[in-house]
Amino acid sequence: MPRSIWNGTISVGLAHVPIKLYSATESKTVSFHEVHLKDGARLEHKRICSKEDKEVPYKEVVKGFEVAADEFVVLEKDEVAAAAGARGKVIEIEEFVPDDEIDPVFYEKTYYVGCRDDGEAYRVFHEALKQTERVGIGRFTFHNREYLAAVRALDDVLALHTMRFHDEIVRGKELDVDTPGKGAAKKEVEMASQLVDSLHREFDPTDYEDTYREAVLKLIERKAKGEEVELEEEEPEEETSDLMAALQASLKGS
Amino acid sequence: MPRTLWSGSLSFGLVNVPVRLTSAARDLDLHFRQLHEKDGAAIEQRRHCSKEGKEVEWEEVGRGYELDDGEQIVLTDEELASVQPRKTRTISVEAFVDLDEVDPIYFDHPWFLTPSGESEGTLRAYGLLVDVMEATDRAALGRFVMRTKEYLVLVRPRDGLLALTTLRFHDEVRPTDEIAPGGRKPAKGKIEGAVAVIESLSTEWEPERYTDCYRERLEQVIEAKKKGKRIKAPEQVDEPAPAPDLMAALQETLDRMGSGKQERKGAAGTGDGLKALSREELYERAQAEDVPGRSKMSKDELIAALDG
Repeated sequence: MPRSIWNGTISVGLAHVPIKLYSATESKTVSFHEVHLKDGARLEHKRICSKEDKEVPYKEVVKGFEVAADEFVVLEKDEVAAAAGARGKVIEIEEFVPDDEIDPVFYEKTYYVGCRDDGEAYRVFHEALKQTERVGIGRFTFHNREYLAAVRALDDVLALHTMRFHDEIVRGKELDVDTPGKGAAKKEVEMASQLVDSLHREFDPTDYEDTYREAVLKLIERKAKGEEVELEEEEPEEETSDLMAALQASLKGS
Repeated sequence: MPRTLWSGSLSFGLVNVPVRLTSAARDLDLHFRQLHEKDGAAIEQRRHCSKEGKEVEWEEVGRGYELDDGEQIVLTDEELASVQPRKTRTISVEAFVDLDEVDPIYFDHPWFLTPSGESEGTLRAYGLLVDVMEATDRAALGRFVMRTKEYLVLVRPRDGLLALTTLRFHDEVRPTDEIAPGGRKPAKGKIEGAVAVIESLSTEWEPERYTDCYRERLEQVIEAKKKGKRIKAPEQVDEPAPAPDLMAALQETLDRMGSGKQERKGAAGTGDGLKALSREELYERAQAEDVPGRSKMSKDELIAALDG
């Protein structure tokens, strides 16, 4: 059983669901620690006061917010907590929205929701969310910070996504992108569609392994055996000058 | 124009489109600096060798990996970069998949891919890919290398452009079978009650209506502190106990929502009553009455709109 990271209650009106949250994802990137190349000794990060040039114990460190150049407002822990609000243990679902209206660009981190009681209310909401194809929107406080959160049915469990706010998302119109003088020719669209069709398959995440992770682990193995490692670099590909010809050649090849 | 973090080409079949990568998410969090309480000076993090006790420059830093037997292997950044697959400047499309088959749980960081350069050929090939994926609701799966790491990515149309998201690998998404959903299959009547509650609380997804209250409150705390006020954390709201009778709780929720709507209509008729409400309360009423443009209205504008 994985360890839960948060305990609280999801409330919909007067119905309350006591829950636990679990991380739904974990990075498997090969992680290294920093070492000194000369002697292989581990590196330590020390907090140094820039004025005294001396190490500072953790208890003497405070949080400062820069309000003007080099002018800081210092906040105590409970002042930061004041910003987190009073609902540290309750996720109140304010409203429900159709799940296909939310672009996944809004979803940030995912947690699985488990239940803390007999699970009746949990199962009822899971089933009702599934039937209505809706997602509950509420606020979730974690580690002294409030997030916008979406609760939805995912397979047999409930999942909670923390969400980005609308102003944190870049819209296409903010980017200065030129449009071509004329659109694609009908023939080009047909051929590109054929190419897409020929490469179409069902999405099965297990078809894609992290080959980079494997390569890093192999490199470590080779290093462990004392092998030399060669370094190389590669040039970018050239752009397609004749779109039609490239599409034709791709279709022949596929 | 946001910063370009990577440039290279997107290739599908033998078609290559030069593209640039920019982030599609911006960080609006308020960031704090660590300060020394005594003198208010900034704290710097410096690397020290645990053996020598002396400071270590960036050029002298290596990457240590501990093997199972405790032996440590040290790699330089150059050696680590050598495992990049061959085509480091290309996002090569391996397959097209139906977008709705890729659960958002796999989505990691959002980016935009924009055409690089103004050549007609590039713009047309780029536009063609947007059009074809839009028409088929499909997205392209591929791989590319940024900095030193290779990513699995999904490229799909968004806002008329190509959006790219890095994807988590299947073994980075935990299985759900150890999560306890608990309980037996619930009774039909209770599910119907919950469906009714969900439906009566349903609305369109309008992301502009949700603001980062945490960011706003933190700004207020900083502003108050700047003026010398001391702010205390509020008392925490008690965690509500689950209702002994779920069906009754659902029914009462529905009843209260019904009467709540009538109350709102009644109060909205008198401008004086409205003035006593906070902007948030006014906003809720504006929402119930579907007042257009409400998210951008000030308190007075909301009162005028509700009173009209």
